[in-house]
Amino acid sequence: MFRALFSLLLALGSLIAQANPHPDPATLRSLAEHPYWIALGHYEKPLIGGWRSYVDDPGFFLSERGEHSPLAELEATLEALHADPGLADQHAQCRYPSRTRWLREQLALTELPAVTCAEYAAWYADIDPHSTVLVFPDAYLNSPSSMFGHTLLRIDSPDMQDNGTALLSYALNFGAMVEQMDNSMLYAWKGLAGGYPGQFSLLPYRDKISEYSSLENRDLWEYRLDLTPEETGRLVEHVWELRQIRFDYFFFDENCSYRLLELLEIARPGLRLIDQFPLTAIPADTVRAVKDAGMISSVNYRPSREKELLARAQPLSSRELVLARELAADTALLEDPAFQQLPAERQALIQETSYRLLRYQAVNRERDSDNAARSYQLLQAINRNPPPRLEIPTPPLPEDGHESRTWQLALGSLDGRDFAEYGLRMAYHDLNDNLDGFPLGAQIELGKLRVRQYEGNHWQLQELGLISIRSLTPRHALLKPWSWQVETGLERVAGKDGRQRLVGHLNGGGGFSWMLNDELLAYSLATLRVEHHPDFAAALSPAAGFDAGLLWRNGAGNLLLEASADYFHNGEIRRHIGLTQQLELDRNLGLRLSARRQFSQLDTPRNEVMLQLRWYHY
Amino acid sequence: MKRLLIGSLLAAASLNAFATAPGGPGCGWGNMLFEGQSGLPSHLVASITNGTSGNATFGMTSGTNGCDTSGKLAYHGKSMLVLSSIMNELSEDMARGEGEALTTYAVVMGVAAEDRARFAAVTSEHFNEIFSSADVTAEQVYTATLAVMKRDEVLAKYADQA
Repeated sequence: MFRALFSLLLALGSLIAQANPHPDPATLRSLAEHPYWIALGHYEKPLIGGWRSYVDDPGFFLSERGEHSPLAELEATLEALHADPGLADQHAQCRYPSRTRWLREQLALTELPAVTCAEYAAWYADIDPHSTVLVFPDAYLNSPSSMFGHTLLRIDSPDMQDNGTALLSYALNFGAMVEQMDNSMLYAWKGLAGGYPGQFSLLPYRDKISEYSSLENRDLWEYRLDLTPEETGRLVEHVWELRQIRFDYFFFDENCSYRLLELLEIARPGLRLIDQFPLTAIPADTVRAVKDAGMISSVNYRPSREKELLARAQPLSSRELVLARELAADTALLEDPAFQQLPAERQALIQETSYRLLRYQAVNRERDSDNAARSYQLLQAINRNPPPRLEIPTPPLPEDGHESRTWQLALGSLDGRDFAEYGLRMAYHDLNDNLDGFPLGAQIELGKLRVRQYEGNHWQLQELGLISIRSLTPRHALLKPWSWQVETGLERVAGKDGRQRLVGHLNGGGGFSWMLNDELLAYSLATLRVEHHPDFAAALSPAAGFDAGLLWRNGAGNLLLEASADYFHNGEIRRHIGLTQQLELDRNLGLRLSARRQFSQLDTPRNEVMLQLRWYHY
Repeated sequence: MKRLLIGSLLAAASLNAFATAPGGPGCGWGNMLFEGQSGLPSHLVASITNGTSGNATFGMTSGTNGCDTSGKLAYHGKSMLVLSSIMNELSEDMARGEGEALTTYAVVMGVAAEDRARFAAVTSEHFNEIFSSADVTAEQVYTATLAVMKRDEVLAKYADQA
């Protein structure tokens, strides 16, 4: 009897299910092509036609064909939404709150079973999303790989602004998932080549601050977006669908910036941001895209621990700097008459500088009880005699810097032979380029091509640079960083019979830089070079040498005076001196004057002068 | 294969005592002041891939941050969780008498906005009692904070709630 009743109930249930107003196929087809559904599935149109999802994880799709068919996925989702509510947290309505909401609105699905999603509700309540901040960790000079930056989102709860603290907010990060077994080289390579899947993670923002500000010494830029609480909620809702979901991850393309732009498009339907990034999404450009869309309502600057240390030390005299260093090494000096007799406000500055130096030295190390004891004694001293608040002025915004790609047009003369030169650099910045938004003494160039057209329509490949990185970080009374550079590619150098030969080369150097005053940086590096030169007997010829120069930030732009030499084992000695001055015409336009003289054992000295127009475009 | 939990202070926590503390061991309760912060073996590598928490930490309730959150976190638990992850910054701010970490601490201790300046002043005045040594742990700091608050006429009510 009971069983009969039960089966009757079942039959009735399925009847009700069938009675659901099934949308007609035409409606479904048009819904499946709707930009919002495409965005929810992270679909793209590959060149070969059809659809493909950036999601590389069968766990994300309800249909077996979901990765390639938005329609199949839509149909499967519709069916799953009507499943038994007893599935609770495993129910499609709990796993896909964004899809559920959108389909419910689009198809007026009033008859959907009510499901209790305890896990999702607890998660959402813990985040308590209200507003969104785009966070951009700036480049760190001594870590050029960070020049490309990173972007993440911060989700603030309603009372964040009243409380004046972001340390309780969550950071939403998209990054590569790394296996611990891999060694560093493999790691770097796989990261670039897309060997690691990407995933979203949600972690306390304070952990992200520690990571960037203390461990990596990167400034953080926090751009408050004008997303409403409802839009922020939509964003977080969709992030739940991406929990533990693997994406393809490529350093240059399908990276953090791209994923975050997608999320913003989901937060605010109709917003178009991704279309602006056909090939590469560099985080600084991402910030610019969001800014151009008018979504930034305010900017906050959070300097790195290193910046804070240098700013605290800035007003100290050289004698006081020495004292600060000694005090960090031996806190007994706090009781020393030499320190005690200083005015209280000078003591306050010195002891806080010492404290910050100690903490700086402790970063990335195991806890050291001796350092901890000294830090603690200095903290007690700071507590007795606190210094004035540290005020650091906000530097030029990174998104106000020049665009990433550079087109170049130049006219010049090499020993009386006139030429025109055409060039393209894929990324990013060199020592002379327009400086606003970039640190002085940092260079990272990728994919550089220069072609020359000499008189008589004689064409020549002048340079094909793969990568060129220079990191000239000045030494300081407290900090003693190295400066270094590395470069590889094809370039023209002196050869026999007065010819300029194209050679393949790899070179690198290490040394020191110093700030001589606020605008003048001097550097000196020892260099090593390996070269394949058609006029040399050996296939690969090694050389040792030096590279030294002065970089002067002046009113017109950057001036670089540089001298370098390579002493080859085969007797060739190649030296050059060069002078380059950039005239910053506009944010994305520069005029560059350069003169160089090259000496070689194979050739007479050659002079080259050039006037180059540089257009920073996209 | 073991995955890295990178950049998380919680993960770097020492496995000291406090097994009975909410959240369980490895959660940061026993963190000493000036506990080292460690990142990826190589900065170059870290910034190339933006590699982060390997196990895809997904908020406090997902239990992948080294803390056992299967039970409901008491408010006490949450403030401890926050405290242990900002202890270094908090010690600095409290020594100086102001700063973001100190404000955050006041917020998680439930101190209302109008009393936070007082909280900052009182805790700074008793810095030596709250941060009693270089080897003080998060739990000791928390307990000492409550003791200091209880003696203050305005802050006592918050200490009783906590």
